[in-house]
Amino acid sequence: MSATSEVPATFRHAAGRRGPIRLIREAIGDLRSRQRLVRYLVQADVRKRGADTLLGNVWWVLDPLLQMAVYVVFVTIVAPRQTPDYPLFVFSALLPWKWFTASMNNATSSIVSHDQLIKQIQFPKIVLPTASVFAGVASFAFGTIALALLLLFFPSRVSPYLVFIPLIAAVQFVFTLACAYLVAAGNVFFRDLGNVETHALRLWWFLSPGLYSLAALDELQAFQQNPTLGVIANANPFAILFTAYRSVIYGTPTGPATPPDFAALGVLLGVSVVLLAMTTILFKRLEPNFAKVI
Amino acid sequence: MVAQEAPGRIDAGAEYAIRAADLGVSYDLRFTHKTTIRNSVGQMMGRGQTDQFWALRHLDLRVQRGESLAVIGPNGAGKSTLLQVLAGIIRPSEGAVDVVGHVSGLLTLGAGFDKELSGRDNILLGGAFLGLDDAVTRDLLPSIIAYAELGEFIDAPLKTYSSGMRARLGFSIATSVDPDILLLDEVLATGDANFRAKSKARVIEIVGAAKAVVLVTHDMNWVTEYSNRAVLLERGKMIMEGEPAEVVELHRLHTEESRARGAAEALAAGLDPRIVRRKKKRR
Repeated sequence: MSATSEVPATFRHAAGRRGPIRLIREAIGDLRSRQRLVRYLVQADVRKRGADTLLGNVWWVLDPLLQMAVYVVFVTIVAPRQTPDYPLFVFSALLPWKWFTASMNNATSSIVSHDQLIKQIQFPKIVLPTASVFAGVASFAFGTIALALLLLFFPSRVSPYLVFIPLIAAVQFVFTLACAYLVAAGNVFFRDLGNVETHALRLWWFLSPGLYSLAALDELQAFQQNPTLGVIANANPFAILFTAYRSVIYGTPTGPATPPDFAALGVLLGVSVVLLAMTTILFKRLEPNFAKVI
Repeated sequence: MVAQEAPGRIDAGAEYAIRAADLGVSYDLRFTHKTTIRNSVGQMMGRGQTDQFWALRHLDLRVQRGESLAVIGPNGAGKSTLLQVLAGIIRPSEGAVDVVGHVSGLLTLGAGFDKELSGRDNILLGGAFLGLDDAVTRDLLPSIIAYAELGEFIDAPLKTYSSGMRARLGFSIATSVDPDILLLDEVLATGDANFRAKSKARVIEIVGAAKAVVLVTHDMNWVTEYSNRAVLLERGKMIMEGEPAEVVELHRLHTEESRARGAAEALAAGLDPRIVRRKKKRR
């Protein structure tokens, strides 16, 4: 069979632990040889989601807008002082966050939900969480339609810096992929992960400057007394990401949009790449056990 | 994929399709089934002992090209585990397996690739999972559809299929890739009489093309009629290997023995032996 892409002869032995570099190389090879599979999985996911609802994929645009509306109503009641153009302020953080949570939720169940298949055929399992993250990219892309609609209401906020969105999204992609491999592999061994994750993600959202700005934190008494809190808040990957998205989409409450903080993004990218390498190694090391444990 | 440095390597171009040497597969019971953090932490803190279960051990096996090997044995003997190791799904815990050629397997029955997708999309997705080139899958598409006899159902979602239809589709995909080694787990017993005959013909054809088939089955007629060789597994160990008729005979004897033992035990426990027998049969 010359037509297939797999290596014809396979030799499997109990011994032989593979080194980290080799595992990463294998993972890259897996993804390269199974590009088509990743694409099919993403397509299937996109087609399935919203297939049984009346509005179909319109929900992809509507959903982030509705969630934004909920937060706007909520914050308007709670906070007396108003941030100008608050809907856009929230949306600039909500859009990337929805991508992240959707990717994480899908990735967590990606391996476990394919248990039948994993017991039936041998294929690189790393395609499954990878496809989850790419499906998230698709929903992010739909979300930018919602962003465009929203910007119609705030024409003064529109700026050429919007072209930096793909760049910021690329950094977020690497970070998300690293987290996806971790939760996908972890959930095989500890099914509690899904339950913990829901709450951990919600907490992360409220601890990140999504509904408020980092500057607002500095005014809090706790942050003034304890400067380390400020350092931690700034080191949060989503503080960096939200701030970057917000600076190109919204700007500041008083000023127009600015280019993102490239230094911070560069550091985050570096950290994410290291994290991705680590979780890839972990994933590949645990992968042979999936079929037994599931 | 080929581990060059692994010891005990067998030369390529050998005449066999499968060779297993001192093969063993163990399951770590701490991690099988749905483990919760509470349980496993408790166990780690506790005695720290590993609960190992050997599903398969000390197995030596050789399958020549053009051979059709039947694997028989009671439930839990390690038959399916053996197929999973041969398919590369599970890595051996000890010993070595050498598989020469492309493996295609149909290990668990009737599980499609994606229930929400149509039969056609499932074939494409299945091809991608099996590592086939997309162009190859598209070329194979008409023949797979024709062979599976699904008619217009091919564009309906898989969840609307009957179990027989799913099994036909699965068998059709698994055999369409023209594998060097075909692994089948209890698949011949599915579908109506027509499709059963057809699938048997296909398996015989594959064996005839000097390719190897390893088949797990409870259909003893198939074993004696169409297999060249048979092995009997019991509790992870190979009890016998040889002529199908002889192996089947031993399996029959052992089954009767255990049935008699079960009945005797039940009798001692004050139960009606007929009920026990019926239960055993159903398994």
